[in-house]
Amino acid sequence: MDERDLIRRAQAGDSTAFGELLDSHYDTIFRFAWRWSRHRANAEDIAQLACIKLANSLAQYRFEAAFATWLYRLVISCAQDWKRSQQRHEHDELFETAWLTDGSQTEDQIYLAQVLLELEDLGEGMKETALLVHAEGMSHAEAGAVLGVSESTISWRVHTIRRHLGKREARVNA
Amino acid sequence: MTHSFEKLLQQDAPPPPDAAARRVARQAALAEFARVQAEASSQSDASRWSMFQALLGALRLSSHTQRSDDMPWYSRRMLLGGAASVCLVVVGGALAWKTLRVNPSLADLSPAYETVSVPTKEVGDLPPPPPVEAPAPREQAANPLDEPSRRDAEEAAAQAEPRQEQSKKERGDGRVRVQIAPAAPAAQVPEKDADAEEVVVTGLRAQLQQSMEMKRDAVGVVDEIQSADIGSFPAPAGPAGKSMAGSRSRAFRGEPVLANVAPPAPPVPQEGYVGRDKFEHFDVSPVKRVSEEPVSTFSVDVDTASYSFVRRQLQAGVLPQKDAVRVEEMVNYFDYSWPAADSRAEPFKPTVVVSDSPWNRGRKLVTIGIKGYEIPRGEQPDANLVLLMDVSGSMSGADRLPLAVKSMELLLASLKPTDTVAIVVYAGAAGKVLDPTPVRDKEKILDALHSLQPGGSTAGAEGIELAYQLAESSFRKGGVNRVLLATDGDFNVGIDSTEELKGFVERQREKGIFLSVLGYGMGNYRDEMAQALAQNGNGVAAYIDSLNEARKVLVEQATGSLFTIAKDVKLQVEFNEATVSEYRLVGYETRALKREDFNNDAVDAGDVGAGHTVTAIYEITPVDSGASSVDPRRYGNVAKPDEASGKSSGLSSEYGFLKIRYKLPDGRESKLLEQPIGKAMPAASAAVKRDVQFSTAVAGFAQLLRGGQYTGKLRYDDVIEDADGALGGDRNGYRAEFVQLVRKARTAKGM
Repeated sequence: MDERDLIRRAQAGDSTAFGELLDSHYDTIFRFAWRWSRHRANAEDIAQLACIKLANSLAQYRFEAAFATWLYRLVISCAQDWKRSQQRHEHDELFETAWLTDGSQTEDQIYLAQVLLELEDLGEGMKETALLVHAEGMSHAEAGAVLGVSESTISWRVHTIRRHLGKREARVNA
Repeated sequence: MTHSFEKLLQQDAPPPPDAAARRVARQAALAEFARVQAEASSQSDASRWSMFQALLGALRLSSHTQRSDDMPWYSRRMLLGGAASVCLVVVGGALAWKTLRVNPSLADLSPAYETVSVPTKEVGDLPPPPPVEAPAPREQAANPLDEPSRRDAEEAAAQAEPRQEQSKKERGDGRVRVQIAPAAPAAQVPEKDADAEEVVVTGLRAQLQQSMEMKRDAVGVVDEIQSADIGSFPAPAGPAGKSMAGSRSRAFRGEPVLANVAPPAPPVPQEGYVGRDKFEHFDVSPVKRVSEEPVSTFSVDVDTASYSFVRRQLQAGVLPQKDAVRVEEMVNYFDYSWPAADSRAEPFKPTVVVSDSPWNRGRKLVTIGIKGYEIPRGEQPDANLVLLMDVSGSMSGADRLPLAVKSMELLLASLKPTDTVAIVVYAGAAGKVLDPTPVRDKEKILDALHSLQPGGSTAGAEGIELAYQLAESSFRKGGVNRVLLATDGDFNVGIDSTEELKGFVERQREKGIFLSVLGYGMGNYRDEMAQALAQNGNGVAAYIDSLNEARKVLVEQATGSLFTIAKDVKLQVEFNEATVSEYRLVGYETRALKREDFNNDAVDAGDVGAGHTVTAIYEITPVDSGASSVDPRRYGNVAKPDEASGKSSGLSSEYGFLKIRYKLPDGRESKLLEQPIGKAMPAASAAVKRDVQFSTAVAGFAQLLRGGQYTGKLRYDDVIEDADGALGGDRNGYRAEFVQLVRKARTAKGM
């Protein structure tokens, strides 16, 4: 069935349609949540939040952007909300390390997690930009649509991230 | 190595979702879905006010999603038009209602319709509602007149709801939603037309404000850079509705004279300008008493954007707004002959000169100059560069072609005499401006660069191919072979499709010729090709908003070697209470650091590039000069001078102590340079003296533009005289240009 129809039906209150919509997108939601949080349990939490939020705000989707774009935006905002709520609860240092790794990561993944954490400090949207462009393989325009910024801003961010990595590399080597 | 992160991310494989977690999430979402549906069905009973709020909420939500940015222009106009017609509806409706009550037989609508043009005027710059909109207010305004619709306005609004509800379901456009929103307040205050008008106008303003914020958000980080750039600043305009010409003549009449340099009214937002030209407000750093705050700390600043902006404004005959004038950026625009350091390990040595202050009798100026170490030519790889310059009409902004030319000059300065540079332009006609020319013939290259004029609208063909041909013809084995494309985003360089261009660039890369894309005039920079390049890493794509950025990008990246000689450079001066009663740092307001930040290596500061000069000026009041601006404390330091001189008579020969902290480009820990500032410094060379005089003149001018709070009786004529006497060699004519600018400022002031 056409996704647009599915969405329209769900918007009209058809819970079967909504269930189908969920089923077809849960993998995407979870995947991105995992990439964002680098942690299974946290990713599951974020994904669940995102599903609930989807139920809540599907009516506001107006077919102006691609559904995937809209969905990414929703997941990102859930992930950020989730992190804020976590920070409110946990102030100790354990939190930082705890959310970095769940014990199953390879060295590469730990490296990724560290860099992503640094990108969060580099500026708003930097981490999301890196994830959308490199991990999700979006074009700069698509990533811009998700993050609500212009394409040029994304290009600029990609460039800034590269510079950061270059500096980081120089630091590590030195 | 840098890209291993990107590669890892690409390969990064999240684990498959857990079935149980998925089930739980599904259930929770379905429960929420059911709850939302139940709520929606009872919504028809909800009060109109909450409906109104929900609509506002929906509007706000859509603004978060940058909906209006995705909309084509005409729909945006529709939105505004819709908002404007809301004014018509509300006021028109109320007026008509009133008129009707006075004279029920009055059936002709037109008078009421005419009156409502008032609120549209009120919103000033808004485009008038498009003609299609006209029937809407008429239709709604007619409601109170028709016999069956002579119910109260609440019912009318209620009637409108289903319509809205329906349109919401079938992707209602902004117009309908906006229209319905104020219907509620209108219904609530049917008779207070004045109030109703107020409500609507406020709403509209809020919306304008909101859309400005949206715009600001949308441009995001890029705009933050623009705020400091030399972008296209419109002349400061007078009150809303005045034409540019009007405001300019106001400046000429001399109303905003020096006492309040910039026209106080913020520039009226104009189309295409929203969110730009915003300068961070800062107060001039005040005179400080040494006894209260003996230590002054700041970060170096190598940016020069402020000067370019001020120049641009003055050349248009307008005094710049105060906050656009950053004294240190004006001063640092010029190169000074401070002695350079001898080794890369200690990349600069400070030059300190004490002179009499031309601004206040009895005070002294302490000029601190730093010149970055210049990397010997032998250490650089050979370079073979082809500049591919976009000279289309859109490149005419000060932040475009002129900045591109300026950044190329910068690049030239860092090249070896044997390196070659060629120039190709594209616009109306693609063409070779300069064959590969050794940097030895610098004048020839500079002449060619300066001959470039923006103009022409169509992009020419063969530009990029020609550039590569030239690069190939003078290929340097083992060197840097690079095409530098400078453009404002118009990548129509003769190869049409992005894919084709990508392929072309990739093939050339295999031959060893790289492409760098330098974007100028941010904001327009949206093109498939830059993206393709940035994304595939075939070349460097960079945005150049300022000379500083140009230096970083061109010098660090384009030539492939690292030319930053020191980073996180901080200056700290401790003044000697025994000899100095007051001091004032000229400029650097936005670069101030806390005293404790000086030794904290985690605190960021400015970078210094090879051969770059940084200059800072303090105005100090020696203790015995009688030139203090602040009265001495009755009970403070009576015994102190004696105490100090008693302790160590050597210290009384010093005004203060200068410390500089910096990190080497690859260093993590900072190094410290120290130097006392003596009352009697060793005599400076004639060149240094001349440059102190010039930098002082620039600083004086900048302060005058900022209002001349601390410059005493200094006049533009004094600045001209001082600067004129310190032109020196002035090979590029920058200093002569400065003198011309001061003359312009004098005229702008005097008329």
